[in-house]
Amino acid sequence: MRKAVILMTILGVLSFSTGAIAQTVEDRLTALEDTLKKQEQTINDQKKFIEELKAELQKARPPAPQAGGPAEQVQEQVQELKEKVDQVAEAQTRTIPSVFNPAIGLVGETVFSYRSKGSDDTGSDRPGGFDAFQRSVELNLSASVDPFAKGYAVINASADPRTGESNATVEEAAIQTTSLPWNLTVKGGRFFGEFGRLSYIHDHELPFVNRPLALDQYVGGESRTDGVQVNYLLPIPHYVSLTVGAGNQFGGDVPPNDVGTFRQGSNVNYWGRASTYFDVTPNISFEPGISGLWNPATTDRDGGLVQPDGSTFFERERRLAGADFMLSYKPLRNNQFQSLTWGTEVLYSDNRYDVAMPSGTLLTGRTVGSLGLYSYLTYKFHRQWSAGFLYDFVESAQNKGARTSAYSPYVTWALSHWNQLRLQYTYTDPNTATGLKPDNAVYLQWAWIIGSHSHGWQER
Amino acid sequence: MKSKLHCLLLVIVFMGAFFVAAMPAHAAKITVVTTLTDLADFARAVGGDLVEVHSLATGVEDTHGVPMKPSFVPIMNRADLLVLVGFDCEHAFLPALLEASKNPRIQKGTPGYVDCSKGIVPCDVPKSTDHSEGDVHPYGNPHYTLDPVLAKTAIANIYNALAAFAPQHQAEFARNRDLYLIELDAKIAGWEKELKPFRGLKFVSYHEHWPYFAERFGLVYYGTIELKPGIDPTARHIEEMVASMKADHVPIVVREPQFPEKVPKRIAEQTGATMITLPIMPGGVPNTETYVKMMDYIVQTMVTAMQSRK
Repeated sequence: MRKAVILMTILGVLSFSTGAIAQTVEDRLTALEDTLKKQEQTINDQKKFIEELKAELQKARPPAPQAGGPAEQVQEQVQELKEKVDQVAEAQTRTIPSVFNPAIGLVGETVFSYRSKGSDDTGSDRPGGFDAFQRSVELNLSASVDPFAKGYAVINASADPRTGESNATVEEAAIQTTSLPWNLTVKGGRFFGEFGRLSYIHDHELPFVNRPLALDQYVGGESRTDGVQVNYLLPIPHYVSLTVGAGNQFGGDVPPNDVGTFRQGSNVNYWGRASTYFDVTPNISFEPGISGLWNPATTDRDGGLVQPDGSTFFERERRLAGADFMLSYKPLRNNQFQSLTWGTEVLYSDNRYDVAMPSGTLLTGRTVGSLGLYSYLTYKFHRQWSAGFLYDFVESAQNKGARTSAYSPYVTWALSHWNQLRLQYTYTDPNTATGLKPDNAVYLQWAWIIGSHSHGWQER
Repeated sequence: MKSKLHCLLLVIVFMGAFFVAAMPAHAAKITVVTTLTDLADFARAVGGDLVEVHSLATGVEDTHGVPMKPSFVPIMNRADLLVLVGFDCEHAFLPALLEASKNPRIQKGTPGYVDCSKGIVPCDVPKSTDHSEGDVHPYGNPHYTLDPVLAKTAIANIYNALAAFAPQHQAEFARNRDLYLIELDAKIAGWEKELKPFRGLKFVSYHEHWPYFAERFGLVYYGTIELKPGIDPTARHIEEMVASMKADHVPIVVREPQFPEKVPKRIAEQTGATMITLPIMPGGVPNTETYVKMMDYIVQTMVTAMQSRK
């Protein structure tokens, strides 16, 4: 009985529960359907709204650029420019170890020659017959030292004329002021002192192949000195330049004049130069100058100089005076294609010697006055071509009776500013007092430059 | 002895009088030295009566070949401002002259060193400065003043330098500059109008003077008779140039008066082109004393040459 009651109760509860659940599900399904319909409506409304917005946006937006159109090209150009600017900016940040290096240039000069006589007859330091001579290999360096000075050096590694050995020598290494007041410039170190017209010009920049005989005889080749030089530009409307200097050597081929002794002020070389300039016409100019060199008490410069008569000269005082001029015709319009230049320099040497005669007698304080000159005319008839003639005359500084003349026509072909060939014939005519013989010579000079090279004021 | 002393005194007095007479009078004006004549014309236009302008070139020289005359040195020694083209245009003569001038006011890096290329974007900047390319200008072609619009940049640089040197006269410099620019702008419009019918016209010249001019007026700068800058043409170069000019119908050969007539004339004869001689700076040919007159001459000569070919 008890079991029957329990079963009846369970069945009653189940039947009631089932009816209630059925009722709830139906309601919820209905509610869900309603919700779904509403959501569908909302979505449709939103889709419609989005379409409307898209249409409006399409109206407001400019048309899309066509491929390859102007806007795209501008964009490409901007991008290209940006890349270039980036590259430049990047380059600025690079480390460049050579950034403070000076300007560097190298000059090479080879002289091919044929001389009809040997060096015993010509007195030359080169052999007779056929010869090829690498006369100079010059390394030029220059840069500003600081805001107040510039520095430069010329290292020459030419072959020794006699041994053929290449010896690097310092031809020039000097500092020069750039900002002194009162129109002054001071140069110190080893440099070519300002004497005459061509003595301070390097070989490869001469208008002919060889240095004039008078400069070789009296100056000693290039006017190299170890010393100091002051230049003053007169503060007037007319160009006048004054130079004075002092050094313990003057002339590239001669050694210092008193090695091993106590150097007095009188043992030093003193020199000076004054030059001016006149525009005769716009196309014609005249540039005269005078120079002087004095060493009051030289002691055995060059040692004893043995003469053909057997006597030996010891230089005790060096005195040299010079006057020079250059007359130029350079038509302004085509001066690079045509010009005519006449340059002349006259030198008078008045040295004092002690002379040891072959007999053993010593003559002291003997003065020898001697004269030398050179004169040349160069005609430029094309940007690349010029031709000229050089006349040389010199008396020996120890014997004015020993005279030599030379005549040299030359033609120059400058393929460019940095590559130049020059052909020169020279007839040298020494008199018998020199102990030398006349000879004929043909020279072919080939000079070239690589790297930095600029002509200074002196080489104008 | 007494007469000798008198002589000596006389010489000293004479020399003293000479130097005093030779000394410049107190310069009230600003002394401006320009390298070329176009810059001198601009400096006169901007500076007016307040400046005394000296040009190293007279106008007939090549821009790269002004002779280094010692007579320039005292002029530069006294200068307040040095006005130059820049882009290394004056490399052959200016550095040595500057050094010889001993004038610290106009040395490079000072306010007195007025480089008119400041603000100019150069054309033809070489990728290599090797001398196999000739006497190249490492900073680009320096002949920008033949473009009158770029010339206005040079004028601006001159104005800035004068105004900085003498700020008390700035208003007058500005007035002078503006008046000159009004004249120049009117001229530029005229030159553009005159050359408009010839846009695309090809021409060659002896040296590379004309790329800026060609660009400004829509002309085509075809090439140079020179093999490379500063290097005379070889026979092969001339032959190749004649062939390409014929193929491309180049009607004009420009010869600058600084260069020989022979080769340009021969090229013109062989190609059927017309050779004209054009100045590269004021004074290069008669009646071109000012920049405006020079540009007038250049444009007129070019127009006449083209019209005569029709």
